[in-house]
Amino acid sequence: MLGYGAVLVLVALGGTIAVVFVGLSRYLGPRNANAAKLTTYECGVEPVKTARERFPVRFYLVAMLFIVFDIEAVFLYPWALLFRELGLFGLIEMAVFLMVLVVGLIYAWRKGALEWE
Amino acid sequence: MSNLVSFGYIVPELLLGAMAVILFLLSAMRRRNLLRKTIFPGLAILGLMAALSVLVNRTSGGIFGGDPGCISGCSLFFGLLATDPLADFFRILVISATTICVLISIGSPALPKGRTGEYHGLLLVMCLGMCLLSAANHLLMVYVAMETVSLCSYLLTGWDARKCRSREAGMKYVLFGGVASGVMLFGMSLFYGLFGDLSFQGLHLALQGSGALSGAMGQWAATLSVVFMFAGFGYKIAATPFHMWCPDVYEGAPTPFTALLSVGPKAVGMALILRFFYSIFLFPGSMETVIGASGQIPWLLLIGIVSAVTMTLGNLAALVQNNVKRLLAYSSIAHAGYILMGVTAGGQEGFEAVSLYMAVYLIMNMGAFAVVSLVEKASGSEELQVFRGLGKRAPLVALVMTIFLISLAGLPPTAGFIGKLYLFAALLERGGFWFLMLALVGVTNSVVSLYFYARVLKSMYMEKADTDLPTIPIRNPAAVTATALSFATLFLGLFWQPLATAARWSATLFH
Amino acid sequence: MDIKTSILLWIPLLPLFGAIVNGLFGRHFSRPLVSAIGCGTVGMAFVLGLVASADIFASNGEARLVQSVYAWITAGNISIQLSFLLDSLSVIMVLVVAGVSFLIHVYSTGYMRDDPSHARYFAYLNLFVFSMLVLVLGDNLPVLFVGWEGVGLCSYLLIGFWFEDPAKASAGKKAFIVNRIGDLGFLIGMFLLFGAVGSLSIDDLRAGTAQGLIAPGLATAACLFLFLGATGKSAQIPLYVWLPDAMAGPTPVSALIHAATMVTAGVYMIARLSFLFAISPTASAVVALVGGLTALIAATIGITQKDIKKVLAYSTVSQLGYMFVAVGVGAYFAGIFHLMTHAFFKACLFLGSGAVIHALSGVQDITKMGGLRKKLPWTYWTFLISTLAIAGFPPFAGFFSKDEILWKALSSTSHAPWASWVHLAAYGMGILAAAITSFYMFRLVFLTFHGKSRLDPSIHVHHEMKSMSYPLAVLAGLATVAGWVGASLFGIHSFADFLDPVVGAAQKTAVVMRDFAHNHSIEWAAAVGSVAVAFIGLGLAWLLYIKSPDTPWRLAERFRFTYRLVFNKYWVDEFYEAFIIRPIHAFSVFLWRIVDVVIIDGFGVNGPARLLKGIGHVGRRLQSGNVQAYAFWLFAGVAGALLYLALAVGVI
Repeated sequence: MLGYGAVLVLVALGGTIAVVFVGLSRYLGPRNANAAKLTTYECGVEPVKTARERFPVRFYLVAMLFIVFDIEAVFLYPWALLFRELGLFGLIEMAVFLMVLVVGLIYAWRKGALEWE
Repeated sequence: MSNLVSFGYIVPELLLGAMAVILFLLSAMRRRNLLRKTIFPGLAILGLMAALSVLVNRTSGGIFGGDPGCISGCSLFFGLLATDPLADFFRILVISATTICVLISIGSPALPKGRTGEYHGLLLVMCLGMCLLSAANHLLMVYVAMETVSLCSYLLTGWDARKCRSREAGMKYVLFGGVASGVMLFGMSLFYGLFGDLSFQGLHLALQGSGALSGAMGQWAATLSVVFMFAGFGYKIAATPFHMWCPDVYEGAPTPFTALLSVGPKAVGMALILRFFYSIFLFPGSMETVIGASGQIPWLLLIGIVSAVTMTLGNLAALVQNNVKRLLAYSSIAHAGYILMGVTAGGQEGFEAVSLYMAVYLIMNMGAFAVVSLVEKASGSEELQVFRGLGKRAPLVALVMTIFLISLAGLPPTAGFIGKLYLFAALLERGGFWFLMLALVGVTNSVVSLYFYARVLKSMYMEKADTDLPTIPIRNPAAVTATALSFATLFLGLFWQPLATAARWSATLFH
Repeated sequence: MDIKTSILLWIPLLPLFGAIVNGLFGRHFSRPLVSAIGCGTVGMAFVLGLVASADIFASNGEARLVQSVYAWITAGNISIQLSFLLDSLSVIMVLVVAGVSFLIHVYSTGYMRDDPSHARYFAYLNLFVFSMLVLVLGDNLPVLFVGWEGVGLCSYLLIGFWFEDPAKASAGKKAFIVNRIGDLGFLIGMFLLFGAVGSLSIDDLRAGTAQGLIAPGLATAACLFLFLGATGKSAQIPLYVWLPDAMAGPTPVSALIHAATMVTAGVYMIARLSFLFAISPTASAVVALVGGLTALIAATIGITQKDIKKVLAYSTVSQLGYMFVAVGVGAYFAGIFHLMTHAFFKACLFLGSGAVIHALSGVQDITKMGGLRKKLPWTYWTFLISTLAIAGFPPFAGFFSKDEILWKALSSTSHAPWASWVHLAAYGMGILAAAITSFYMFRLVFLTFHGKSRLDPSIHVHHEMKSMSYPLAVLAGLATVAGWVGASLFGIHSFADFLDPVVGAAQKTAVVMRDFAHNHSIEWAAAVGSVAVAFIGLGLAWLLYIKSPDTPWRLAERFRFTYRLVFNKYWVDEFYEAFIIRPIHAFSVFLWRIVDVVIIDGFGVNGPARLLKGIGHVGRRLQSGNVQAYAFWLFAGVAGALLYLALAVGVI
């Protein structure tokens, strides 16, 4: 239990410093607010509309498909490394796995998930 | 057991998965011919029946004597899955439940016409997930299977996108389910971080204080993670206080799917809880020794308290409902509480009672929802007032509903009575003070529950409809299914021995 | 089991069969078929009774048959058999019940010929015969009680047979409720006996009494409670009020149930349990006094009644009083003897009155009759014979049985020191009642059949029907000869000997003979005395109703208060109404409005229901529909579980 004491001290110290610094700047700094100062900070560019914007749902569809095939690719690396040891069984297993993903792709395609407009 | 050999034991799951893939492919085809209307339910039932027949063929030897091969329990895929009577019993249950769901879905107005293929495909995938969950013997598998079930459930709950309530229910389900999964996953990760193991056996050793991290500290860390995981399991079976999603989701979901949702995930959740607690406490015999070994942590009483609170809250909230679907939702929460009594009782008797009650509950609850679906189809609503005068308008449907309600209330001569009898008997046989108190709470709750079931009866037989309500057509698969289920309810109420034998067999867990 | 034993079951079963067939399918049968089933089953029961009793007659009452059908109730150490017992006592009862029932069934085929509910009538009547036979054949008190309740039910159904008339329906209810009070006493008596002996079979009770298992005090209490039951069923003070109202039923019913059979059940029960009453002189004295008082009071009421059936009803109450005097003074056989003769002549009288009512299309007021002697000869002669019998003129049956009772009351006493006074009082009341009986019965005969016709000229007198006249003749014949079997006057005690195996021992226990008991000259003198008072009654009636028919009205004017007191039946009904029914009713209203509605329903039933519903509403509030709140509860649950585990293990 005592081994974690140092961590606790560190957390407490960090918190204190943060609070002290923010509090100091608030206490010492001058405050004269105007419209320009209160706008959203966008690296100097004039903000044009509200930040709470709705994205087209297609972004999500594409993103999800991307993730699926991304993971597939990641999964292929360890399989490739152990390919010789897994033998024929490994080959068939991976073929089935890819088949299922292909079916999913075909389905998404036919349902129009890949068409942007 | 090696992967190649293991595949032999998950043939039902493979069949379900293959049929789901076929269904998705077919639904992606653009040709529309006349066959489409019946081909999807037909194929789904084909897949389910194939899986069921494989299962039954393999287990029938085990239920009624004999012990062929791996039937009495061994682990597959290097311990990810177990194959044992418990898993097989609940697999049969969920496949039957999905079949019933497919049957009562036919012609339901709550399901949009254009996406029948996907609907059935998702049902099969959900069934696959439930099968895996009932056999899961490893936390990773638990998580994967549970998410499979949950994701399909989210989609199917919001299936009727035309209805605001259905969409809302789907969204709420996703959010609450996400939180619950998160909590559970947090528990699992804690566990993995502490012990470097995710198998149930590892948990057992950790709780006994003989794992990687020994002593009181290790026990407490394990306890913490188990409570987090229990929150996830409790969400699946809709036990208080993890049940809050349940009424909204049941009410919003398409009624035929609600029928499955109220039974399937609850069943596999119970199977999971049985296996989980049985594994982490101790294997053979009673649990007494375990409680001593795991540092006097009163797990059973914790479950007992959850059971008492769940059934009380479910029943009391059901008293004031005017929507039959919502009423049945609360009733199903209460039933989760009843079934947890069996888990609390533990031992062979308790587990046997859980299995038995789950089977009985499947029949009567799906039947009740089937009737609600029929009424909804005819009158466009599932409020209590559209049930008025059903006894006159549709005597058969009203009679069938009466049988289900009587059974849900636990009165003889129905299966529900037998189920409750086994649950209470298990508790009483155990016999300690707190177990008797729990039984008392259970009995009191059964009495309270009579009131709201009788309200539906009163509405059907004693009240006159304000307006002209339509009769209920009975020449359709849903009505036939409901009638068959009502026969089963009565039959099992009088002749329950075969089911009791199967339930006893399912409770032979790790002998 | 030999054949004679195994037919015992069939004696009650046959009428039950008739009741079921007629009750279920009678509506679809023709009237002759319904009548045939009704009469046939009862007739066959009578024949079976004769066959079964052959041995008992042959052995002069020594033999007895017991048939145990099956174990009816078995719970813990209680075992009650459904079993039947036929001994000399039940032989007499079975034959009287089945025989008179058969005659009255035959009579009913004529009397009820035009009634629309013909089949229902016969079904009830058969059901009654079944219950009555169970009552007299029962080998233990529970079986007897089943019959007891069964006859009560049939009585209720038949009094209210014409239930469209609210007065008749409420007369049925009155009989039922008054009988319930008595039944409560019967039940308590049974429980007391069971507590002492541990069994309720007659033989066990007898053995238990012999072994001294029943303490004297307990015996008195049990007997008094049983007697309360008897006063209900047999219309004795204080529960006699239902019987006159019971005349609302069809007249054959009055003859059968409310004169010949059912109302004698209390006498039968006491004779059956005579061994028990014999060891309690106090209870026996109460029985004798209540019987004597009832005999006297009911007779006086009979003088003033104008309804032909009401007169007979009070005379029934009065005659039942004699029977209770008999069983009260320990002369059990005399009670049964009078029960039998009374069954004949009273049934005959009632059926005769029914014939009169039938002939006059429903007129029952005797002040509006007169001179019917010529028009209804069969009825007149049979009625006259029966009147002679009830008034106690030799050689008719009533003389022998009534004289036997009065003689036994006079010549015996019991072990209690004050008992001789009680017996003397009973005798006094009995002899006085005998004179009054003779008077009001002849008043009835004279007003109905003699003198000038006071009939409403519009009434056409129907002539007599054969189905009604023949039973009258048979009963009149029996009313003439039935007394001879028990004529102890001539030194033969055949009836007493026949019953001796059943009640003889009890009689010896109960009775102490006075020194003059065997003095024949005193016995003769007593007999002459009772005949003399009968003549006095007859003479007075002749004077008042034949010689100078105006006198009664003048007397009634002169003794106005007395007349009104008697005519209004001593205001007993009004007394009960004011002092029993009203307070109970008020108390019931209190129980209903306050205890039931407010306390039980309010706090006991609806209170928890409202509470639970309230909690349900709170539970519904929690279900706000807000997913964030749901998630909060999830975390709260996890935290709660951890807190509980920590507390339970004792970490915090």
